[in-house]
Amino acid sequence: MKPHFSQTKINVKLPFSFILFGLIAFIFSQWIFFQNASQLAEGYFRTPELWMAFHLLILGWAVMIAMGAMYQMVPVTFLTPIWSEKFGFIQFGVTATGILSLSFLLGFHPAEAVYGGAITIIGICMFILQMFMTIKKQKEKNMMTWLVFSALLFFLLTLLAGFVLAWNIANGQILNHQSIFHSHLVFGITGWFTLLIFGFSYKLVPMFSLSHGFSMKWSMKAFLLYILGLLALIFTFWIKMSILQPIGWAVLFLAFTLFLLDMREILAKRSKKRLDRPFLFAIIALHLGWFIHFLVVVVSIWATSNVALWSLLIYLYLMMWIIFSILGYLYKIVPVLWWTLKYADKVGKEKIPLIKDLINEKASFILYIGFFIGTLGVAFSTLYQSLLLIQLFQGLLVLTSFVYSVFIAKVMTK
Amino acid sequence: MEILKKVEQALYQVIDPELNVNIMDLGLVYNLKVKENNDVYIKMTLTTPGCPLHDTIVGGAEKVVEAIDGVNDVQIDLVWLPQWSPDKMSKKAKEMLMS
Repeated sequence: MKPHFSQTKINVKLPFSFILFGLIAFIFSQWIFFQNASQLAEGYFRTPELWMAFHLLILGWAVMIAMGAMYQMVPVTFLTPIWSEKFGFIQFGVTATGILSLSFLLGFHPAEAVYGGAITIIGICMFILQMFMTIKKQKEKNMMTWLVFSALLFFLLTLLAGFVLAWNIANGQILNHQSIFHSHLVFGITGWFTLLIFGFSYKLVPMFSLSHGFSMKWSMKAFLLYILGLLALIFTFWIKMSILQPIGWAVLFLAFTLFLLDMREILAKRSKKRLDRPFLFAIIALHLGWFIHFLVVVVSIWATSNVALWSLLIYLYLMMWIIFSILGYLYKIVPVLWWTLKYADKVGKEKIPLIKDLINEKASFILYIGFFIGTLGVAFSTLYQSLLLIQLFQGLLVLTSFVYSVFIAKVMTK
Repeated sequence: MEILKKVEQALYQVIDPELNVNIMDLGLVYNLKVKENNDVYIKMTLTTPGCPLHDTIVGGAEKVVEAIDGVNDVQIDLVWLPQWSPDKMSKKAKEMLMS
């Protein structure tokens, strides 16, 4: 009798396509930030060049990596085969074309960005359909299912708000631009990414630490409170009562705290004493995410109208919570994928390397320090509007991103 | 050497590539039987349901046993109950993971 889950095998070329695209977009986004350091120094964040860099970073890197990881993780963790692999490859082509054209148009012809946005939306809608159809087939739904499902819903809302924004830029006919923009940001980076990282952390943290006997007792409360916080926050954007915003942020912070309590219990009950450095970096990112949520509550109470401070917080939220989590987990996931592709069929037949032999773990430590210093350096030199320091720290981020991507790519030569 | 011993020995060669510990020391194999016609039955589990390496580990176990001279067919029954727990590991595995 063959084990029933062999159907959950995925053609690893599919997740790899997304991951490779993401790595290249990551390097280019950091390079464009470096090239436009003067705009960062002057505090002009909403310029075509920086729009291009942000969309390459968020869509090209973070979203594409998240999609690639989901194509790998969803079938195995939900014990459900992907709805259609062929559809997945087409979806990759459409999404990659959309993101490249959207980023390019935002940078050089913003008035026509809506066309790139439309292709991106089609690609992402295809992805959401793929995931909904896959999750629908899962026999026993669990906490992870609800977190991932909600993340996908927020992803859909991010798209709608993004499309309306792009339409607004092109035609300028819709009022409430600020409300739509703020909703777009919160739907995307707070709703989609955070809920997704929450969901997969409930699987990855016990798996990479070999933890058992943990309760996940806060998971449902963390999930419901986070959704409640998001809805409250969006509501305040539309009724334009910024005085109520701290309540929304405080609820999000409380939910994050409950999630972190679960993560700490999982780690306390682990069997693997020494944690791998990339995984440790992802754990540090969880704590940074919690701390940034706390900072947001503080700023929303005492400095609501300080645009520079809010820009700094958005940057820190994006980099130190979302991007750092991805950088940590990806360094673990890619060797597993490659090992599965190249060596899985050789188990028991010949001597094969271990997963840790495929990646340079020692170097990851230096890279993560580089990312940490670079990100903090850019954030604070932007606050002090020092062009020289921004160039220095952004240069460090370009270099670190490039070396990180090379190390990931080198896995595929082993 | 009787086939059961050979199967046990072969399963020590199947390593969890993430943990670098073999599946016997990890305590993943719950039951081993060799039928009269030399069909081998293995009841096993994994450290967690939804492990990305599940196909590899179970497939590896199947391959090493199939390669043993005299084995007719291999039947692997993957179960989630009783749930695997760290106390199923051998002393050697615990030492490796705790070091």
